[in-house]
Amino acid sequence: MQPLSPFELEVARLLVDTLHLEDVKPEEIAPEEPLFGEGLGLDSIDALELALAISKTYGFQLRSDDKENRRVFASLRALSQHIQQQRVL
Amino acid sequence: MSRNWARLPERGSPLALWLIRSIALYLGRPAARLLLYPITLYFLIAAGDARRSSRRYLRRALGREPGWPQLFRHIHWFSATILDRVYFLTGRLDHFQIEIVGGQAILDQLRSGRGCILLGSHLGSFEALRAVGASLPDFPIKILMNVEHNRALTRLFEALNPELARAIIPIGRPETLLAVQESVSRGCLIGALGDRVAQDDKTVRCQFFGRETAFPIGPILLAALMECPVVLCFGLYRGGNRYDVHFEKLAEKIALEPRRRQEQLGVWVQRYADRLEHYARLAPYNWFNFYDYWSEDAP
Repeated sequence: MQPLSPFELEVARLLVDTLHLEDVKPEEIAPEEPLFGEGLGLDSIDALELALAISKTYGFQLRSDDKENRRVFASLRALSQHIQQQRVL
Repeated sequence: MSRNWARLPERGSPLALWLIRSIALYLGRPAARLLLYPITLYFLIAAGDARRSSRRYLRRALGREPGWPQLFRHIHWFSATILDRVYFLTGRLDHFQIEIVGGQAILDQLRSGRGCILLGSHLGSFEALRAVGASLPDFPIKILMNVEHNRALTRLFEALNPELARAIIPIGRPETLLAVQESVSRGCLIGALGDRVAQDDKTVRCQFFGRETAFPIGPILLAALMECPVVLCFGLYRGGNRYDVHFEKLAEKIALEPRRRQEQLGVWVQRYADRLEHYARLAPYNWFNFYDYWSEDAP
């Protein structure tokens, strides 16, 4: 498996810190694995909390009516790419 | 609490739903209510699990051993509210005498233009809230629901009131709560029920009727994240055609410190459990969680 890029690692740290995932190490998150449901097993409250942290850190809002959401939340890699495209901070 | 409520008959078959709806709408309320007696008797005898959980609960709520009349009444009131749900959902509110207690809490909230979490339970009838909504010029509400676990109820909503069915926000997809947050910022009330634990819910142990059981932290955590108030809502059935709808502000703001988060969430959820217990004592036959609530059968 491809290792995490530096930015993916940064997002992984944000994710682990925000959601208090005590038994997950950021560098061990598989970048292509699903974040929600199976895989990392996050739920919709985690998604909201993560979205709030992303908006605070990178200065843009994730929106519920974004057609891309399914893709954006699919994996760490997809999420990191989306942040890189949208960030204003 | 145990998670086995998901297997309960309240999920209902399409046939049972069709039957309830037809009886309610074509027979009318007085005649339909007569039918509740044989139906109650049937369930009292046939639904052993429900009867056992009723007995366990009533023992705590009444503080004495319940007899057959109390068990009958418990199931009868449950079936009466299920029947009335049809009338509430189809807007036939003139059947009812409804008293609103603490309504200022909800009026203030609506006037503020800020949304809030309207936290209810399976004590009584959350649908009685419809009557409150209908009496106000504007009552923006959305209901958070685990659609997977409430297929029957969702179908009933769709059949009886498609407009209301559209107000249901299904929990489950990652972006679900982003939609909720956007609604709250537009001043919408978000209805949620806080007394049942679904699969994968995060929970905290609370004291409830002197015994520990698990409650979901979801609604309180959601309010904390959205920085919105929590208003409690209990629609209690009082017999006949009377309902009392109680509102009560639980929290203006739920502030969590990262290090003490779990503990602080626990304090708030316990406050909800305390109020739930208070209202359950006030209207003991309104408790409609007919399953092993305290997980006493668990190995």
